[in-house]
Amino acid sequence: MLLPLPRLLRGARARPTEGVSAAPGETRALTEVALYVLPPAVALITAAVVWELWVRAADVPTYIVPAPSVVLDRFFAGIGFFAKHGAITLAEALAGFALGAGVAIAGASLMAHSRVLERSLFPLAVLVKVTPIVAVAPLFVIWFGFGSFPKVLIAALITFFPVLVNGLTGLRSVKPEAHEFFRSVNASNMQTYWKLRLPGSLPYLFAAFRICVPLAVIGAVVGEWFSGDRGLGSVIIVAHNNLDMPTLFAAILTLAILGVGLTVLTWQLERRVLFWHESNITN
Amino acid sequence: MTAFAHISVRGLTHVFADRRRTLRALSGVDLAVGRGEFVSVIGASGAGKTTLLRAIGGLLRPTSGAILVDGVLPAEAQRRKTIGFVFQEPALLPWRTVIENIRLPIEMNSRGSEARHAEPERLLTAVGLADFRDYHPHQLSGGMKQRVALARALAFDPSVLLMDEPLGALDEMTRTVMRYELLRLWEQSRKTVIFVTHSIPEAVLLSDRVVVMSSQPGRVVDDVAIALPRPRHADVERSQRFFAYADRIMDSLAKGSALAPAAAQAAAGG
Ligand SMILES: Nc1ncnc2c1ncn2[C@@H]1O[C@H](COP(=O)(O)OP(=O)(O)O)[C@@H](O)[C@H]1O
Ligand SMILES: [Mg+2]
Repeated sequence: MLLPLPRLLRGARARPTEGVSAAPGETRALTEVALYVLPPAVALITAAVVWELWVRAADVPTYIVPAPSVVLDRFFAGIGFFAKHGAITLAEALAGFALGAGVAIAGASLMAHSRVLERSLFPLAVLVKVTPIVAVAPLFVIWFGFGSFPKVLIAALITFFPVLVNGLTGLRSVKPEAHEFFRSVNASNMQTYWKLRLPGSLPYLFAAFRICVPLAVIGAVVGEWFSGDRGLGSVIIVAHNNLDMPTLFAAILTLAILGVGLTVLTWQLERRVLFWHESNITN
Repeated sequence: MTAFAHISVRGLTHVFADRRRTLRALSGVDLAVGRGEFVSVIGASGAGKTTLLRAIGGLLRPTSGAILVDGVLPAEAQRRKTIGFVFQEPALLPWRTVIENIRLPIEMNSRGSEARHAEPERLLTAVGLADFRDYHPHQLSGGMKQRVALARALAFDPSVLLMDEPLGALDEMTRTVMRYELLRLWEQSRKTVIFVTHSIPEAVLLSDRVVVMSSQPGRVVDDVAIALPRPRHADVERSQRFFAYADRIMDSLAKGSALAPAAAQAAAGG
């Protein structure tokens, strides 16, 4: 369902090289809406209808599987509640993502600069990566308490490795001709980093961001399972303990909405930042 | 000649060596280029033309030999922004617009306003891209990209311009047009140019001198002064003397690679 979104965004974007007339472009945007939004929407609605009919026909108890109508009822009745806890989870996820990505990019920059640093630091990064998050989450609660910080830290930990690896690859994969040109104009290492390596690594970084943004949300939710009474993770745990399936499903729905929103936002940002990259150049 | 040469190369030898093999890319190359002279270097692929240019431009430290550019070592000439480089691949930064790409070398000037530089907007007009100022490289044709690369190389108003097959990646039509644009630009600015090419007509049309190199190991086998009057126009390409020069160069290429006639054929064809 998420796959067609970039195509849709691409279609909606004005193309500077195409100075013809607006009408064909608009028609195309409409066609693309029809092509890429309609089918998944129809599929989703069909699934919901089948689900609803099944629950009603088989008389499935609500504490096992609630009907979509019941979930939606719960969601809209408690929209303020879900929005509040969703905002908390979102904030933790974004803070964690920023922290993890920031440290990863800084680390990748250091490692790209020196093989010795790479050899000494990279194994540490691998160690961090292979440690199961679920195992360290309770530790973080002991160390950092019940507030937001351990959740942010878990989201950061999940984000860290993919960004590090892709960042390192990106910073290293400078075109030899471009590098030769920078040498020919006597560019300093810093200038080469800021003007060539870092911008050149953005396609690789964004590929990691696309993976890590949803992962950061998962990280925050996992963190919330272990402590505290704020955020969608704790809402899910409490609902589960009370066998309150409508609330549990409504919390999952909120998470899904968050995930879709963040993904679209990431795509959009990527299109803006990487307008020059092959992956974004249409026709 | 050598005493006044703007670029002088003596006994230049370069060996590429790694664990498995050694390759003698250049062997005892001597070359002197006067100030304001346009010299083409022609030779089969693998003759060491790029290696020669990189050594002169300070991008490669040769195994042995002496190089002076504007009276100083290449690395120092590079620091003083004496040398402009155009590579076969334009290697523009895709996230920068045309004008921002042209400005790039000026941003590298660590010593502030000390070094002189050309006005980027003027360069833009000089290479005929005024209307494309704010375009990005992916919106340009191959010929236009190479023009940006040329303008970028001129950003510091260098007195030496090193060009490594700058027209090599272009289609034949664009190449012919660019050839004459280059000729016009050079006849206005009279910079010292070393121009690497595979094309004999291109070398004869543009140059004051054509240096012929042979491969394995790369060395100079002929040095042909082209005494065609300037400014040169398209009709010069149909003159008897033009053909005579072209024949002489073709012969030298063939002689230089007597062991590998196929290579000379390839160079002559380009
Ligand atoms: N960085 C390098 N490492 C090893 N061998 C090289 C390198 N650069 C060039 N060579 C070799 O040196 C020879 C001359 O290359 P080059 O100067 O690029 O020739 P040309 O530009 O005339 O085609 C070739 O045989 C090439 O394989
Ligand atoms: Mg070459």
